[in-house]
Amino acid sequence: MRLERGEISSSQLMFLISCFIQGGLFPLSFAYSISKHDTWLALIAAFIIGVFIVLIYIALASKFPGKNIIEINDLIYGPYFGKLVSLQYIYFFIISLSGYLWFIGDFVLTFIMPETPIIVIMTMFTFICAWAVRKGIEVIARISVIFVFIPGIIILLTFALLLKNMEFTNFLPVFEIPLEDFIQSTNIIMHISVCEVLVFLMVIPYMNKPKQAKRSVLLGIISGGLILLTGTIRNIAALGPLSEIVTSPSLLAVSLINIGKIISRLEVLVSMAQILLLFIITSVFYYAAVLSVAQITKMRSYLPVVIPIGIIGISLSLISYDSRMQFSYSTMYITPILSMHIYIVIPLISLIVAKLRKLPQRNGRN
Amino acid sequence: MGVVLRYLIKKSKFLKLLCQNALERNKQEPSQDGPNTLTNLSQSLKTNLDLIKGVIGNNYDVVIREFTFDRQRQVNAALIYLSGMTDPTIINESILKPLMFESRLSINSAPKLDDVEMIRTTMLSVGEVNKSVNIDEILDSCLSGSTILLVNNCHEALMIMTADWKSRSVDEPKTESVVRGPREGFIESLLTNTTLLRRKIKNSDLTIESMKIGQRTKTSVSIAYIKGLANPLLIEEIKRRLNDIKTDSILESGYIEQFVEDAPFSIFSTVANTEKPDSAAAKILEGRVAILIDGTPFVLTVPMLLIESFQCSEDYYSRPYFVSFIRMIRYLAYAISIFAPATYVALTTFHQELIPTPLLFSMAAAQEGVPFPALVEAMGMGVVFEILREAGVRLPRPVGQAVSIVGALVIGQSAVTAGLIGAPMVIVVALTAVASFVVPAQTDSGGILRILFVILAGFSGGFGIMIGFIGLLIHLTSLRSFGTPYLSPLAPLSVSDLKDSFIRAPLWAMIARPRTIGWHDPKRQEFRLKPSPPLEEDTQSK
Repeated sequence: MRLERGEISSSQLMFLISCFIQGGLFPLSFAYSISKHDTWLALIAAFIIGVFIVLIYIALASKFPGKNIIEINDLIYGPYFGKLVSLQYIYFFIISLSGYLWFIGDFVLTFIMPETPIIVIMTMFTFICAWAVRKGIEVIARISVIFVFIPGIIILLTFALLLKNMEFTNFLPVFEIPLEDFIQSTNIIMHISVCEVLVFLMVIPYMNKPKQAKRSVLLGIISGGLILLTGTIRNIAALGPLSEIVTSPSLLAVSLINIGKIISRLEVLVSMAQILLLFIITSVFYYAAVLSVAQITKMRSYLPVVIPIGIIGISLSLISYDSRMQFSYSTMYITPILSMHIYIVIPLISLIVAKLRKLPQRNGRN
Repeated sequence: MGVVLRYLIKKSKFLKLLCQNALERNKQEPSQDGPNTLTNLSQSLKTNLDLIKGVIGNNYDVVIREFTFDRQRQVNAALIYLSGMTDPTIINESILKPLMFESRLSINSAPKLDDVEMIRTTMLSVGEVNKSVNIDEILDSCLSGSTILLVNNCHEALMIMTADWKSRSVDEPKTESVVRGPREGFIESLLTNTTLLRRKIKNSDLTIESMKIGQRTKTSVSIAYIKGLANPLLIEEIKRRLNDIKTDSILESGYIEQFVEDAPFSIFSTVANTEKPDSAAAKILEGRVAILIDGTPFVLTVPMLLIESFQCSEDYYSRPYFVSFIRMIRYLAYAISIFAPATYVALTTFHQELIPTPLLFSMAAAQEGVPFPALVEAMGMGVVFEILREAGVRLPRPVGQAVSIVGALVIGQSAVTAGLIGAPMVIVVALTAVASFVVPAQTDSGGILRILFVILAGFSGGFGIMIGFIGLLIHLTSLRSFGTPYLSPLAPLSVSDLKDSFIRAPLWAMIARPRTIGWHDPKRQEFRLKPSPPLEEDTQSK
């Protein structure tokens, strides 16, 4: 019994992950205030470490082809303890969903629609994500193919247009910040960007060629990471010390563009692209949450849980966060530490246990 | 909207039951009527004639001609045909003349001419002649223009193909006019339409299969495809869906479209139609299947992709650079026709800071004293435009001018002068109106989307437009037309097919057929077809 009937190709997975990583450009603003103008170094470090962590996920997925993480947990830890581990994943998916819902609500509230209640924005956004989730991973993956080039082109374009404003002395002195700040910033970036690829353990089983998963995931991470790096370098070079204190360095940097009074106000394009990317990220988390809940409760179809999970996500984000300050404090100092448990510890233990128990066994027990 | 419709349909289940009962009654009625269905002919000519007269005899266009032939035996016979649907010269020259006149001339009329097989093989000089014993079949063929020959002491009848009726001559299609390219268009006669297709594709693999749909209209429906190019599964699927249509009438291709389409609740049509034989032939040659319906010049082609709406047959006859540019313009025009009023509403209501300052001043001056918010203005003008358009389409020609004068002068000019509507809004609506005509295949979907986006923009500004845009994409990516993703080759991405999407590559560069449709035999032409001037050595050797 398969909950998801659709299939995605390896190139679609690559584009999906690339979108997913590129979407980290705005949440990345939390790292600027800690690592200051060395954020680009922290980004590179985070991606290098992140790729190794992602290799753990891929190893786990390729050990059990065609099985999502909930099924894998059942196989590794047995039916009861496995459920306990799976519940932690579900908790993580729903918490991430609510975090992103709050982020989009806050983003729209701050930059686009200052007088709208946040719950209206979140409800509209959740509605559209729920629609995509109901249509299945196939539709989300196909939409990502359309979206993937838009932010990349915008970032490269704005990079070229901002060359006039860039001061490359803004990067100097390199590695000024203390090592602990650097490590913390690296951890934040891993948390909000590359390690969230964990959620694709719910998507990889539905590839039509599971053997190419490793290549697609890594290519997606690298292409998305390069775009992210370009954006970060653009922001730091154009803004300099400003980038540490403003709410959204990307928007401010792009708003500096004014060429002959014709090419200006490009921040509209940037925020449009950001909404598209946040839609992809939120939908993937939403999808993973819905699918894992349906899987753990052994439902025939995941459609009945789509709306409840959406309502839970909205309520949770309204309960969890009161203000932007609180949200950024928690993203900067609390969740990156806590989530290491989900990102690194559990997958690693799962992999080791699977190796020790010599799973998957061939004699038809799986 | 689809949800509402679905709900209504669920609610009206009793209606469905009602229809079923009616259909069943229709089916049963003729059989209860008398012995005229599913019965065979008898030996006696008189009985047979009475039978047939009982069914169709009181129609004024039915001609029943009784005569005798074969001087020695004096065989009685009768011809039954519909005047107006048959060719009198064939009946006179090729049926009556051989039977009545030439059979007398031949002195040794050795064969027994009361055997219809004998008449068929030796006497009738007409191409298509069939035999039948079934009265239903005989009546059907008579109603489609055949002439029925009944002979006494013979329980079989001959159905002689004499169909010929007045139809419009082949002329330029009204809907798809081109500057360069063939001017002929399909007409209402199925036979002419298939001929037009055959004249384009002189290939023995071009298969045209026929069936009759509609219990009362018995409309001929043909599917045309190229064997070996079209996906056999696709052909099977189309035949299955066509055979499943159990309705009483098929009057136009739109009937068929609504019965076979994949997404009946979508505002996007998933079945393409064309009026031009050359574009139908091009689609068949890409591996699609055409559905031709008797009585309409519109030919359906499936599967349909969204990008087909932005293509036109002339694209392939003109040079590629300009065509690529024009294609971009079409996409832009479609985007304008959907998003322009919504963007205007969002900008003036929520995001004034995005408008350049000098423009903002002049817009504010124009808006001064306008009593309505932008949303109301946009909705009102949108509705007024749709009314004008509909009036322009339906009105008889001579009155059309009055409508345009009223529309342009009274509504446009005076509304602005009177201060009811801001001048910028009129400009936006006019631009939208012109842009919506650029892509005729998507005019109807564009009209609905425009209103939806205006409402979204009026309530939640740019964010609402983005949400609507994402929703539109979700809907489009989830659509399929006969198994082919509607948004291909964009999503799922197929790089080689992009040669004929936003741009149009030169014909010699389009080596493969669209992969999502013509996967069966992808190679269209040889690889090295790029024209080049002769090499210098060649010219010297000459």
